[in-house]
Amino acid sequence: MARNKSILTETRQIERAVVLINLGARLQVLESETDLSYERLLRLYKEVAGKSPSKGQLPFSTDWFMTWQPNIHASLFLNIHEYLNKATALDEIDVVIKAYQLYLEQIQAQGLEPMLSVTRAWRLVKFVDNGMLTMTACSSCGGHFVTHPHEIAKHYVCGLCNPPARAGKGKAAGTLQMLSSAAALTH
Amino acid sequence: MNTEQILVEIREANLSYLMLAQSLIRSDREQALYRLGICEDTANTISGLTPAQTMKVAQSSTLLCRFRMDDELVWNLITSHGKNAANEGVGRLHAAILLAGRHQEAA
Repeated sequence: MARNKSILTETRQIERAVVLINLGARLQVLESETDLSYERLLRLYKEVAGKSPSKGQLPFSTDWFMTWQPNIHASLFLNIHEYLNKATALDEIDVVIKAYQLYLEQIQAQGLEPMLSVTRAWRLVKFVDNGMLTMTACSSCGGHFVTHPHEIAKHYVCGLCNPPARAGKGKAAGTLQMLSSAAALTH
Repeated sequence: MNTEQILVEIREANLSYLMLAQSLIRSDREQALYRLGICEDTANTISGLTPAQTMKVAQSSTLLCRFRMDDELVWNLITSHGKNAANEGVGRLHAAILLAGRHQEAA
């Protein structure tokens, strides 16, 4: 893409970059989503975040999205993302930003820790775009959940309708807790 | 509640709804579509109302906004009825996923 010299376009891109940095995005996200040079992004990052960006590679595996709790978080984000995508005509990165803000609100309103970082959310959308992940409707509740492609829809049951045996037994604050069915019966 | 009271309450609710909708649309249009569950055209209409029109629209014998959780599945998840009673947080998150997936109403 030819580098755009328009001052207005550049201002818009800086604004976007600032929002993303404030949401905790990694530098690679900014590099990919703006035309600003690496040096300028680095300076902007230090100015906004007050520290140097973390180094190292981005998480590249789709497996993380398949584990129980991350799958619930990722599915909530992706449903909001799809909603905005259908209802509005925004640039792709703006849909990610706005959907991520709405996801954060919902999670924080329930007193949970956001497991999905904005960098992962951005990756998730890329994974869906290039067909490495998709959404499949649960045959029990009808909700749409993040799955590998070619999941057999007829037999697919989501992790909320049919939680795995060890799901929700962790005691860490801000994670989902599930009471065992024996305990639930006494309630 | 007599009829007159009912009409006053409905007008108040309609007015609060319209004013909230207008300020949501002003502060972030796209997120407002998601929060309100309305389409772009409806958002344009609501945000384009003058104060006088807003008053006129609110003055009605019926409510302007409609209940969005009109099925038993989502309702039970939110109110923690049925087998999910012990896992309220999980139920609310489940309901949020189901509600967010309903974009056909908005688009």
